[in-house]
Amino acid sequence: MERRVVITGSSAITPIGHGKDQIVKSLQNGISGIKTLREEEFLSRYIHSKVYGTVDYPVEYDFKRNHRKTMGPVAYYACQVAKEVLEQSGLTEEFITSGRLGVAFGSIHGSPTVQRNIYRIFFGADDKIAVKEIGAVDYLKSMVHTTAVNITKMFGITGRVISSGTACTTSSQSIGYGYESVKFGMQDAMLCGGADEYDTTTVAVFDNLLACSTAFNAEPNKTPRPFDKDRDGLVVGEGAGAVMLEEYEFAKKRGANILGEVIGFACNNNGGDMILPNLTGITNTLKLGLENARINPQGVDLISAHATATKMGDIIEAQAINAVFGSTPHVIGLKSYTGHTMAACGAIETIMALYMMQDDFIAPTLNLEEVDERCAMIRHVQKVLQQPVKTAAIQNFAFGGVNTILIIRKFS
Amino acid sequence: MTRQEIEREVKDVFQREFEIENPDMDADLRETYEFDSIDAIELLLAIETFLGTEITQEEKKQAIHIRTITQICDYIEKIAKKRNLFSPA
Repeated sequence: MERRVVITGSSAITPIGHGKDQIVKSLQNGISGIKTLREEEFLSRYIHSKVYGTVDYPVEYDFKRNHRKTMGPVAYYACQVAKEVLEQSGLTEEFITSGRLGVAFGSIHGSPTVQRNIYRIFFGADDKIAVKEIGAVDYLKSMVHTTAVNITKMFGITGRVISSGTACTTSSQSIGYGYESVKFGMQDAMLCGGADEYDTTTVAVFDNLLACSTAFNAEPNKTPRPFDKDRDGLVVGEGAGAVMLEEYEFAKKRGANILGEVIGFACNNNGGDMILPNLTGITNTLKLGLENARINPQGVDLISAHATATKMGDIIEAQAINAVFGSTPHVIGLKSYTGHTMAACGAIETIMALYMMQDDFIAPTLNLEEVDERCAMIRHVQKVLQQPVKTAAIQNFAFGGVNTILIIRKFS
Repeated sequence: MTRQEIEREVKDVFQREFEIENPDMDADLRETYEFDSIDAIELLLAIETFLGTEITQEEKKQAIHIRTITQICDYIEKIAKKRNLFSPA
């Protein structure tokens, strides 16, 4: 049995805004969310890359103490977007707590802020003192599935829990596995997404791999530059994104406002190197996605590329897109606005593509001033296009050789 | 320390750590204030800080059956007496 899966709620907290109005405004006006990396006592002064995709505006939370006590910063983001998606979906409390709704939500490694405090205690005192100072809730705040289970706790959700922790494909897997859960009848709805908090350890990791942007420290909004000849690496960011996936007949029956439809998903692995992008692996992912959606390449009119703005990654992705889709679909790199929001990027980019479908426009790749000739074989977008988008593919790739593609369609 | 000081400290802890003001001394903590096992562990740590002494694993296990703030105060009083920290008035 295969069922149609529709989207009935979406919300994102991103470096370019919280919620649809702010995000669309930024996408249509070329506003970047990249700022100077905040100074902190731990790593920032030693990191070469001084830029970050920052949520620097206040987000108002009204979580009760008995929920807050198990939440690190990443869970605040996750629970806030989950709350907004639940409200937007209009699902009843009876349904939410019935077991028919599950959660697929993750972060790359729980809460690094909380983990950092734990390590500080361990390495700053003798063992006898340290063991006392570790809080009873520190694990609950920092564990890899902290986002998913803080959401289930807060809203009384009793269905299945899937908590991918596959770095940059975390939330594209969340949506993909949520889609499969509903499509094949395991759940009638899935709340899916990902979140990551402000964290300089992630920046340090990419900085050490020489993968971070360093040439635009004085002008943060000029980087990252996906597909541009002057791109010099990725910019780490923070944020969260969530969508509600629901079985179509159920959504229709209850009169839900249907925002879009998920029609395909694929995930594979390169089966080798954990870091280097792999043309064969990525090309296969894109083909598998089309097969899963049962459409041909001409059926896709917009591709949201993973496009982190690393030297090799963008070239390999452009080659894979060209090999599978040719040069017809418009291709955009949304990390040019937000930086690489890690576990959140798949969900945030899916939501941005959904907004473009709803409002009939395509946001250009920011900072794409001169296309690298090695990436020129695909159809880049360098200014806002006012035109409808019917079907969009969202591509994400992760350390460990994990590749995903999600295919969404305007609902009709 | 006196019983009065114990009660004042416990109320302070409830306000400071658990955002519960003027709690009912004899109410069931779980039913009335959603106090759970995580809170109980945090409370034991706060009691150790207040007493300035470690609570043994055996003593901690005895706290499992506590349901009210009055019982918490009784528990602290008993430990304080054992360590000669308690004065009746």
